[in-house]
Amino acid sequence: MEDEDASVYTEAFARNGLPRGGAAQARDSPRLFAVSDAPVPARPKAHAVQMPAAPVELDGALLPTESALLRDLPFTLQGLSSTNLAFSDKNSLKLPPTLPVPILSLLHTLAEPSLLYRSLSEFVESSEGGLVGQSLRAAIGLELRSYLGLVATLEGHIRRALSQLDENAPNGGLGKAGVTLKRCVIWTREATLGLRLMSLIVDSSRGKKGGELISLIHNFSSSHGDPFVHTFAERLLTHITRPFYSMLRAWIYDGELEDPYLEFFVQENQEHEDSGATSVWEHKYRLSHAMIPSIVTEEFANKVFLIGKSLNFIRYGCADSAWVESYSKDASRELTYGDTALLSSSIDEAYNTVMQRLISLMENKFALFSHLQALKKYLLLGQGDFIALLMESLASNLDRPANSQYRHTLTAQLEHAIRNSNAQYDNADVLRRLDARMLELSHGEIGWDVFTLEYRVDSPLDVIVTPWASKQYLKVFNFLWRVKRVEFALSTTWRRLQTGARGVLAAVSDKLGGDWKAARGGMAEMIHFVDQLQYYILFEVIEAGWEGLQKAIRKPDATLDTLISAHAAYLRSITRKGLLGGGAIDFTAQLHELLKIMLAYKDAVDGLYSYSVAEFTRRQDVAAKIDTRTKAGKWGLTEADEDENVTATLASPLFPPGAGRRHLDSPAPPLLPIPGGVEGEKNMLEQLRLRMAALGVEFKSKVAVLLGDLAYQPDVDMRFLGVVMNFNEVYAPVKRRRGGAAAAAAAGTARKGDERGKEG
Amino acid sequence: MPREIITLQAGQCGNSVGSQFWQQLCLEHGINQDGNLEDFATEGGDRKDVFFYQSDDTRYIPRAILLDLEPRVINGIQTGPYKNIYNPENFYVHKDGMGAGNNWAAGYARGAQVEEEVFDMIDREADGSDSLEGFMLLHSIAGGTGSGLGSFLLENLNDRFPKKLIQTYSVFPGQQDDVVVQPYNSLLALRRLTQNADAVVVLDNGALSRIAADTLHIQEPTLQQTNRLVSTVMSASTTTLRYPGYMHNDLVGILASLIPTPRCHFLQTSYTPFTGDNVDAAKTVRKTTVLDVMRRLLQPKNQMVSTKPTKNSCYISILNIIMGEADPTDVHKSLLRIRERNLASFIPWGPASIQVALTRTSPYLHPPYTSRVPPRVSGLMLANHTGISTLFRRIVTQYSLLRKRNAFLEQYKREEPFRDGLAQFDEAKEVVLDLIREYEDAERADYLTGGVGGESSGEATNGGADARTDGVTGR
Repeated sequence: MEDEDASVYTEAFARNGLPRGGAAQARDSPRLFAVSDAPVPARPKAHAVQMPAAPVELDGALLPTESALLRDLPFTLQGLSSTNLAFSDKNSLKLPPTLPVPILSLLHTLAEPSLLYRSLSEFVESSEGGLVGQSLRAAIGLELRSYLGLVATLEGHIRRALSQLDENAPNGGLGKAGVTLKRCVIWTREATLGLRLMSLIVDSSRGKKGGELISLIHNFSSSHGDPFVHTFAERLLTHITRPFYSMLRAWIYDGELEDPYLEFFVQENQEHEDSGATSVWEHKYRLSHAMIPSIVTEEFANKVFLIGKSLNFIRYGCADSAWVESYSKDASRELTYGDTALLSSSIDEAYNTVMQRLISLMENKFALFSHLQALKKYLLLGQGDFIALLMESLASNLDRPANSQYRHTLTAQLEHAIRNSNAQYDNADVLRRLDARMLELSHGEIGWDVFTLEYRVDSPLDVIVTPWASKQYLKVFNFLWRVKRVEFALSTTWRRLQTGARGVLAAVSDKLGGDWKAARGGMAEMIHFVDQLQYYILFEVIEAGWEGLQKAIRKPDATLDTLISAHAAYLRSITRKGLLGGGAIDFTAQLHELLKIMLAYKDAVDGLYSYSVAEFTRRQDVAAKIDTRTKAGKWGLTEADEDENVTATLASPLFPPGAGRRHLDSPAPPLLPIPGGVEGEKNMLEQLRLRMAALGVEFKSKVAVLLGDLAYQPDVDMRFLGVVMNFNEVYAPVKRRRGGAAAAAAAGTARKGDERGKEG
Repeated sequence: MPREIITLQAGQCGNSVGSQFWQQLCLEHGINQDGNLEDFATEGGDRKDVFFYQSDDTRYIPRAILLDLEPRVINGIQTGPYKNIYNPENFYVHKDGMGAGNNWAAGYARGAQVEEEVFDMIDREADGSDSLEGFMLLHSIAGGTGSGLGSFLLENLNDRFPKKLIQTYSVFPGQQDDVVVQPYNSLLALRRLTQNADAVVVLDNGALSRIAADTLHIQEPTLQQTNRLVSTVMSASTTTLRYPGYMHNDLVGILASLIPTPRCHFLQTSYTPFTGDNVDAAKTVRKTTVLDVMRRLLQPKNQMVSTKPTKNSCYISILNIIMGEADPTDVHKSLLRIRERNLASFIPWGPASIQVALTRTSPYLHPPYTSRVPPRVSGLMLANHTGISTLFRRIVTQYSLLRKRNAFLEQYKREEPFRDGLAQFDEAKEVVLDLIREYEDAERADYLTGGVGGESSGEATNGGADARTDGVTGR
């Protein structure tokens, strides 16, 4: 295509104009010269001058004479057939076969404008094409009119000359009269150039519309050295950009697309369905790059796109058409081609005004920041007292299976947590959006796995908090909630151990002191882990991300797009740095596994606590019995007592139903069914010890793997987590071999956690 | 349902520290001298109900019980500027108003006499709370009332509230304290702090007056000035409870990370920078950065306890509460710097690090509510350090010296606890020596496995070995 265009182009502007057809040549180059009876040529570029089929008879009468030809010429130039020069069809002119070659050659030259005019006027009269096309037609029509003016003048000259003809002078005295075919060629030369140019434009404009068309013509004006072509194209541009500028105006001042022929570079997205604000902003309109005319820059086009999109969004998404109307009334001004300074200044002005308005709408009318804050406070656990309360009041509920959770209990507890924490001072509109619900149920889960908090955001804010973003929030919440739950469980147990140390546990320290020390060491290790993990996620990740978000939002040249992308970046950094995926290593699964070990460990410690309490009560009972028996004068202790006491203690609530289920998840040895008697008691303690030790070792080795993975992370903050978790270097981070069995093993054990992670 | 904390103030020191503490809290929460909210105190985000409750006329009343055996300090509070905030029913001054005469035994014995009355007050406060987190006892251990009555309270709280946390802010005697019998009193109180409290924030008078002298440039700081330091530490250590954020929103959250084993529950503190807002006429520190603050917190001269750490001494845990405009990335850098330069050494038997809690500060401490600009960043360090045992060692040594001479024992023998002999002293010494041993054990790598449970630890390693082989073959 391009080659062809280029060659046509060079030919059209070659010194000698379009090639004139010798008979042979005409046959040889069918590309340019169509045979008269050929169908409409594929490229209607060619103007054919039909050559006489028979060779010219030189010795015959010179008929018609030059003066006769001259008389006919004005008609020919207007594309009308005349006696001597008849247009055999729309693309060819039949020359009388009797003419001598020089005359023929002159007529050839004159036939060009005639044929061009014919095709151009045909183009002008046609009606297809868009607004820009129509204005191109109008502009060309204008040009043709001035060509006709030229023809009229020419005709005047010819008439005058013909009336003065001296029949006797050689060649009819035409030479003296001053009007010859040669002259006419000279006189029409410039017009021919214009026509040729127009015809070229018309030809290459076929199938193009709107912005493309403008680009095409602008290309003539900007990248052609010939000043004639340049000015000519400029003149055309002024006309044909009119519809473009009026579309532009409607778009940047009213936010409306007035573009029946899809010629503007902003286009309505046909596939877009009205399914909420997100798509209105993201998908309702799109920028069509092909349609950006080269008279404007890409940047300009983007700005324009944004302005109109924002206006449109303000009007329909934010229901603020009053502002748009008054803005349009105040700011609207005529835009024309050529006045670049005015254009760019008015665009900048419009851009600033509209962006400011949109941001301020988001900020004030729709309270964007307070919602983002609320999301951070509730879904990212920023409001610690609320979360603690919620967890405390839900804990007993959530320990039960997922299918026995009732929504009304959840919402009631949520209500309770709000009322009793500082959340109560929050905006009612914010609290209204907070909801507690269950994720889709899956089998064998307990309440903890399916509980989730939700924060509803509606139009138009869901442009920023998109469904994708909501999902990320949910994901982060579920993870943080899990971590918090482990922290809560560990704290509860720690409190029991701490206060217990003042009483019950101190009393049995002779028997269980060593166990307790080990258990506490394990607890401390896990508390440390959870605390560091939380600090990292909450401060290093969320707070730091939040800072970034604030900064991006507060930037003076913020647009809705900046807000959207800043928010998306914020969430992405949280999920990535928050170890929730997006990297080569599946941290989520590792963490879930660790959290599960911690819960199992905590259960074991609780078991040890119960055992200690049982032991304590047994001792007290024995002491009391000894006391009474001694008083009664009997032996303090008999053998029968021991058995009895032991069985009594075994009914203690050591292993609540349901505790066993969790043990199955873990590779650590499960607790055997507890046999009665002294043996059973001893067994139980053994089991507890084994289990705690095994869990402790498992925890340590998994932490070491995690630390090893963290140490080789490209992200500084993630490496930092590895450092603070191992601040005093008690762990030896395990370096994972690439693709080795280690990964497979880890993946194997982590599969369970992985599945859960996916649900979240 | 806040996690309420009831404050018990015993004795002269406890009450004057307490009164400063409440003034500070009122200031931070925008509560005026009548207990009403100031008009400007509209910015939410703080939790007043941890330490205050609202009366029927919506005034904020401290959850505080003020106990003393002599009326001077309490009278001062009752006639002072903040007299109206307290619940008048929560003052208890012993009827004879004689005080305990710097005698632990006297304080303890008086306690026993007034048990019913005092615990009626405590029960009333406890019943008025939705979910009582625990108690906070403010006292000094050198004198008679705070030490003796305080000990009595601890023992009985332990029995009556076995599931509630008991935290104390205990002012230990400095080296040149003028009470001759303070080693006796301290030792006896220390036993209760060891056995009946869950966390003890140790502040010692010597260090306090040293810091006060340093920051204020005065030779002899008054008691009020040193008490001000204590109340500053108290208000700082409760910031996370009062301004809930992500973490450390309750006492358990703070203490669980600090106290891995129950015996080692003595915490030392550092605070920086002290400025005009905390202590009148303190010099201004020009520019405070997070790194600055975190480094200074580790310096011995900012510690509010005079210990003589050995080369084996190490931190069991650290919690830095950083207040003000702290950027998490600064914390990040500071931690790495501290680690790089080895500014703190930690226990060898478990993971330990510098926990950081970033927290808001009261908006009412900033202009326009006050005339002074507070420091940009300030920090409190709560640390569990094995070096604290040297402080206990000092007390034991001083006690032994005194006891060898049988000095001043008469006044103790007169009181109830010593009617049957001086066994109390020996028991207390035993407990404290145990405590010292525990701290010294904690400096060793085999702290968790060594010692008592020889049999169990052997099995534990077996189990561990099994699991490890599993792990290996699994890979």
